[in-house]
Amino acid sequence: MIMRLDRIGLLAVPGLAFLAVIYALPLVLLLFKSVQGVDGLTLITYIDFFGDEFNQVVLWRTLRVALLTTLLALAIAYPTAFAMARAKGIWLNVFLVALVLPMSLGVIVKAFAWSILFRSNGFLNTSLQSLGITDEPIRMLFTETALIIGAANVFLPFMVLPIYTVVRQLNRNLPEAASSLGATPWFRFTRVTLPLTLPGVVAGSAFTFSLAISMYVIPSLIVGERQQTLSMLIARSFLYLRNEPLGSTISAVLLAIAIFVVLFSSWLAGRLGARK
Amino acid sequence: MTYKTARALTRRTLLKTSAMATVGTLAAPSILRAQSSELVIGCAGSHTAWMETIVAPHMKETIGADILFEGTKSSVNLEKMSSNKDAPYLSVVQMDDPVMIQAVEADLLTPITPDAVPNMTDLRTDATHMDGMWCNYVQPWAGIAYNTDKTDGVASWSALWEPANAGQIIIPSLQNTEGMWTLMSAAMLGSGLPFSEAQYEIDAAFAKLEELKPNLLTVYSTMSQAFNLLEQGEISMLSGNFSSYTLPRKAEGVPVDLAAPAEGIFAMPSGICLVKGGPNPELAQAYVNEMLGPVMQAAIADFASSVPANTTVTAGAVVPEGVQIYAPDWAFVASNRAEWIDRFDKLMAL
Repeated sequence: MIMRLDRIGLLAVPGLAFLAVIYALPLVLLLFKSVQGVDGLTLITYIDFFGDEFNQVVLWRTLRVALLTTLLALAIAYPTAFAMARAKGIWLNVFLVALVLPMSLGVIVKAFAWSILFRSNGFLNTSLQSLGITDEPIRMLFTETALIIGAANVFLPFMVLPIYTVVRQLNRNLPEAASSLGATPWFRFTRVTLPLTLPGVVAGSAFTFSLAISMYVIPSLIVGERQQTLSMLIARSFLYLRNEPLGSTISAVLLAIAIFVVLFSSWLAGRLGARK
Repeated sequence: MTYKTARALTRRTLLKTSAMATVGTLAAPSILRAQSSELVIGCAGSHTAWMETIVAPHMKETIGADILFEGTKSSVNLEKMSSNKDAPYLSVVQMDDPVMIQAVEADLLTPITPDAVPNMTDLRTDATHMDGMWCNYVQPWAGIAYNTDKTDGVASWSALWEPANAGQIIIPSLQNTEGMWTLMSAAMLGSGLPFSEAQYEIDAAFAKLEELKPNLLTVYSTMSQAFNLLEQGEISMLSGNFSSYTLPRKAEGVPVDLAAPAEGIFAMPSGICLVKGGPNPELAQAYVNEMLGPVMQAAIADFASSVPANTTVTAGAVVPEGVQIYAPDWAFVASNRAEWIDRFDKLMAL
């Protein structure tokens, strides 16, 4: 049995080797550059980075946008996942196609489409004025709100699919059993359904948050250079400032956040699984 | 029959085939490139239209080269050259003068000589730089692009600062070379000096840029998106835009035009260089020679509303009369640009 496991384990070698060379090795080199000083190892670039008000603003904005994007995607994805889980036949296919097809459309095309939607004489502003909600066009382009809406749209499938997978496996007898014992709909949802679907929520949130915190093209196109994010700072450091230690330091900070999110979500999913 | 099929795919066959396929896939680009007449050219993304329609067919016909363009920003082209210094894959790069200076300092270029590129002898004297390290091939002029449905014209650079234009202006980032024109204008207005002297008054420039913030819808690093908003009428003015982009769009009937403010306009620096150790060096020299020759000069200058660098060519853009054209001290720009970008980004973000 042990022999067989080892041989099966060999199947992972190409994938691990690929990751080691293409992902891990460059990351290690990058991390090394972030602590490499003239006279040896130093943390000066980290001290400079966290001491700069501009970097603090960008770091906080990046975290805030990633968090709000995740929350918006969750609010849309959670009921959608239930609808998909209940759907059958052609309706299920319609849901899946509607979810996956937009992923094949480039972000650049979407960004241009959003600029038509968000502009002062665009559909949203015209509708708000027609309904008497606003008297004059409100600024939507190049705002953080537009960025969060756009990012949630792009990353929605990564939130829906993990929740959908969990909801599909949900034992429908459990809420019914709670109901037969006198539980109200709210009690059934908060004490039975929600806890059982939390592993999917955690996985989807981890996916979405990780993608949102490291996005580069979407903020570049939607909010421009006045509201930079950490990824934009990395590109700026390497390409324009030609400051490799700074770019490596920001990359390390971004990586640390991503690792924390992955580890925390794994721990949380494990805790929730154990409770279930 | 089943036995035969099973034998056809032994473990050894599978491993051998997989290994050959992997090696073949990884080696294919190098093999093909080494054997072909392909030239990889780094150029600006905004040049793609005329590079594909004018340059590529001409080069195939005259020098037999298959041209592959990589359109991006000058700084990204520089990074590509720098990262692949030991094994360059770009043969020729067309980028802006301040970035050319950085490329020369990093020893990434090889000189263009009249022996290998005879057409360079017909260039204006100010179009050849640093003993032939690079040449300017065409020169668009830069001013303020505006939407003709929203405004009748732009008489002065100070129009960008007028309160009536709140939220109606987009300017380029200093990451883009055309971003320098707004900085220079701010220096001129802030210091009260002419452009030739004001370009060194950087503190005055940044103080004046601070006053511009209420009028800005955004700061772009991708020009096509900003220009799209100008065409749609979402903004009135796009600062620092140039003739090779605005005027062809105007000719297509789009409601845009390029203003030449009274204080002066700027000469966009479009350079061409040979990459040191780049593939197909003789073909690369032939490409540069054609780019500097009368046929390509006339065609590009006409298509992109630019001033040709070849003195034997009379085609191209009509430069506005009575307005001074300035070219900044690019060496000064190149040596300070990183610091200015950092300062500009912080000013705009905070």
